[in-house]
Amino acid sequence: MTKVYKIADHAVTPLASGSKENFNAVLEGKSNLKLHEGTFGVKEPFFASLFDREEVLRNAENEGIRGYSFFETILILACKGAIEKSGIDASSSDTVFVISTIKGNVEALGEGSKDVLPATSARRVAEFFHNPNSPVTVSNACISGLAALIQGQRILRRGGARNVVVAGAEVQSAFIVTGFQSLKALSPTQCMPFDASREGLNLGEAAAAMVLGTSETDWELVSGAIRNDANHISGPSRVGEGSYNCLRAVVQDKDELAFISVHGTSTAYNDEMESIAIERAGLLDIPAGALKGYYGHTMGAAGILETIVSMKAVENGVVIGTRAFSGNLGVSRPVKIDRENRKTTKQAFVKLLSGFGGVNAALLCRRKTGGEK
Amino acid sequence: MKSVKIYSDGRVILDGRENVFEEKGLSLLEHLYRKEVGDYPKFFKMDVLCKLGFIASELLLKGESDRFTPREDRAVLLFGTCGPLCNDRNYQATVRDYPSPSLFVYTLANIVTGEIAIRNKYKGESSFFILDAKDEDIIKNTIEEAFQDPVTQEAVTGWIDCRSEDDFEAEIELMVK
Amino acid sequence: MDLIETLKTQIIEALNLDGMTPGDIDETQPLFGDEGLGLDSIDALELILLMEKNYGIKLKNPAEGKEIFKSVNTMADYIAKNRTK
Repeated sequence: MTKVYKIADHAVTPLASGSKENFNAVLEGKSNLKLHEGTFGVKEPFFASLFDREEVLRNAENEGIRGYSFFETILILACKGAIEKSGIDASSSDTVFVISTIKGNVEALGEGSKDVLPATSARRVAEFFHNPNSPVTVSNACISGLAALIQGQRILRRGGARNVVVAGAEVQSAFIVTGFQSLKALSPTQCMPFDASREGLNLGEAAAAMVLGTSETDWELVSGAIRNDANHISGPSRVGEGSYNCLRAVVQDKDELAFISVHGTSTAYNDEMESIAIERAGLLDIPAGALKGYYGHTMGAAGILETIVSMKAVENGVVIGTRAFSGNLGVSRPVKIDRENRKTTKQAFVKLLSGFGGVNAALLCRRKTGGEK
Repeated sequence: MKSVKIYSDGRVILDGRENVFEEKGLSLLEHLYRKEVGDYPKFFKMDVLCKLGFIASELLLKGESDRFTPREDRAVLLFGTCGPLCNDRNYQATVRDYPSPSLFVYTLANIVTGEIAIRNKYKGESSFFILDAKDEDIIKNTIEEAFQDPVTQEAVTGWIDCRSEDDFEAEIELMVK
Repeated sequence: MDLIETLKTQIIEALNLDGMTPGDIDETQPLFGDEGLGLDSIDALELILLMEKNYGIKLKNPAEGKEIFKSVNTMADYIAKNRTK
C-alpha cells in the first residue's frame, strides 16, 4: 500500500503559535488553563484554555486574513503555517482539504445564515488558498482530528490527491461550555488526567494543521483505525471495547513505541476506560501520557494538535510528562503515567482518542530511524 | 433490503418501490417507528436527525438473520450538509436558563452513526462526513477509501440531511466491499 | 394532584417516555438499571435538572442522585423535604 508521510505542520494555540513553539512551551510545563468568570455570558465560572481573540485577529490581519469568523481565522492561520512550510501548491487541483471540527462556527447559530454550517467554513478556508476542490469535513465528536488524519491518509492511498491539507479547530462558546456543564463533565479546577483526584475535563481552543503527501519524509502515518463501542452515546464502554479494538488494529510492534499519547480527558469514566483498553492490548509497559493538562480538551483540534506535539516529543527524545498528575494513579490498571518528562530513544508512538457516539480512534506514527533532529 | 429512501413529504422508497404516507415530517418518522419497530423506546429521546437515521436503518436491516450478533466488519458511514443543525437550535434555546444535557448530546453530528451502531451492535468504524452539497463523487470516493480498512467488509452508508423537522431526506444503502 | 402524580407526569415529559402515563409508573419500582424504567446517566442529569427547574433544588454533587433517584417515592420524599418552590 502507498505510504503516507507528514510534510509539514503548524499549531496555533493559546500557548504559542508554531509547532516547535508549542512543543517548547509544553516541555517547560506551561499552560493557559485558568478560571473564566462571565466569559461568553456563561453564569457558572469555568476552567479553560482560551485565545486572546483580539491579539489573534490582529496577527491574522497582518497576514492578510480578514472578514472571517474567529473559527475560520484560526483554521486559516493553522493551514497557512503548514502550507508555507511544506512548499506545496495549495491552489493546485491535486491538493485536497480535510477539515475537522465538532461545533465549528456554532456561535453564529440563530443569525439565520449558512455561516453556522461547518461545510461553509471549510469551503471558505479552501477558497482562501484558491483551492478548486470541495473540502470534506469530518465531524466525529472528540476523535474528529484523528479521523481527519486517517481520511487524509486514505485519500492519498486511493490516489485521490497529491497532497492533503488536514486541519482541525475548535473555538469555545456559551453553547459548548454550558453543554459540558449540563453533563457535569467539567472540572472546577485544573484537569488532572489519570489522577485519583480528577474531577472532570477542561475545555480548550486550538487550531492545528498537517500537510500530508506520498514523498518520503521523516514521519510516516503508518496505520489508523476507527471503531465504535456499540455501547452508549455518551458513556464509554466499561471494558474499553472500541479503544482496545483500535489499538489492536494499529499497533504492529509494541517494542518500537516511545509512548501512547492517551486521550486523558480527566473524566472518571474516560481515563478508567483507557487504562482497561491499554491492558487488554498488552501495552501496560509502554509509557503513557496525556496533553490535556496543558491545553484542555481542544475537541476538533485535539487529534491533530496532540499528534504534532507527540511527533516533536519523539524527535527530541522525550516522553512528555502529564501535567497536573500528582503521582497518585486513579485508574484500576497500572498505566505508566508520569508527571515528569522522561527520556526515550524509540521512534514511534500511538495517538489514542475516544468520544461521544461511542467512537474511538488510534493512529500509529513512525519516524525514519536516523532522521535529523 | 438493499436501499431505503425516506423523504419528509411522505415518500418511502424501499429497493425502488415507492409508498406514499399521509404522515409528513417528524410524524412520518414516528408513524414508521410504531408500524415497523415499536420496541426501542430510546427512539423518543433522539433528535430528528437520529430518528431519521434510525428509522431508515431499521427499514434497511429489519429482515436480516443474526441481526443483533456483535460484528466489527460492518461500518456506518453517513454524509450530510446540516448535521445536527435542527437540534442545535433546540439546545440553544435552553442555554440561557436550564441547559439540557439530553439535547446537548445530540448536538454532535456523529451521534446518528453511533445510534445505529449501538442498536445493531456494530463495533466497526462509524463516521459522519459533512459536505457543502450532495456531491456523489466525494461520497463514492470516501466510501471506497473507508474500505481500505481491512476489517471493514460492508457498510451502512448514504446521505442524511435535516433542514428542519418538516424538511429532510435520507437515502441509505447496504454496501459490500 | 399530589406530589407523586405530578412528579410522574414531569418525569414522563422530561425523559420523553413516549406512550407512558403516570399510571404505568410504579412509584416503588427502581428508576435505573435493567428492571423498572431502565433509565441511564443522561436521564439522571435530566432528573437533576427537573428538580432544579420545578422545585428550586440544586444538587451540588451528582453522585447524591443515586440515593434520591432510587424510585419515584424516594425522589418525592427528597423534594418534599428540600424544595424551595
